[in-house]
Amino acid sequence: MAATDVVDRIKTHIGKTQKPVTALVEAGHLKRFAEAIGDPNPRWLEEAPPTFLVAIAPTSYHLDEAEQYGRGWLNGGNRFEYLEPVKVGDRITATGKVADVYEKSGSSGNLLFIIFETEYTNQHGRTVARLRGTAIRR
Amino acid sequence: MSVVAKVGDEIPELVKHPTMRQLVQYAGASGDFYEIHYDQDFARSVSLPGVILHGLLKAGYLGQLLTDWIGDRGTLRSFDVSYRGVDVPGKPYRCRGRITKVDGKNVELEVWGEDENGQKTTLGTATVELD
Repeated sequence: MAATDVVDRIKTHIGKTQKPVTALVEAGHLKRFAEAIGDPNPRWLEEAPPTFLVAIAPTSYHLDEAEQYGRGWLNGGNRFEYLEPVKVGDRITATGKVADVYEKSGSSGNLLFIIFETEYTNQHGRTVARLRGTAIRR
Repeated sequence: MSVVAKVGDEIPELVKHPTMRQLVQYAGASGDFYEIHYDQDFARSVSLPGVILHGLLKAGYLGQLLTDWIGDRGTLRSFDVSYRGVDVPGKPYRCRGRITKVDGKNVELEVWGEDENGQKTTLGTATVELD
């Protein structure tokens, strides 16, 4: 299949909201996450560190079509916006969508950029954080 | 303790020593099991120098740099990172930051991660609201 056809097909996902994912913020999970970063701050026994929300719901969802473009994935960047703290025992619902898809020519060939946006809400229905991620196929 | 934040000031740096073990720990804790983070052959098969650090692990390091500096004196409001180069386990990763704007209680910073040659492989910005 020609690359332009693949890109056109991936573009049909733009704006579509994915099925929300809900997860409980568990103390053991927070502890393992902070240990993986090597951050000994005792605050993270009770509260989520800045990048934790990526661990309770994927930052990008699987796009089968995207695997037909290039050979591998790279993470281009992440933007977090924090509205309220996330604590142990919170029930977080993540709702993601593809915000944009575009192609760019790089020094070693063409790259495909897929922009994912995720909104995280807590058990009270309040938005606690937003995340924007740039996934790159190369 | 009040924070004296002046434009141009650097915040205390944080040097990390990522290992393959830590990458596996991060894969498990984050749920990101993409093979480029623990399988050397797979990583080379997609034209990488070998296993590389998760971008979000580097973001986690820069998050620690920020929350260590903020302590209980304020709140992180936003945090943006852009991955410009790859980093490999077994090499030090140096996290640094500098204040770029102070507007009352709101402070803006630039943060970055450097490889052992001083190359900035991760660039970011953050906004902090001080109490």
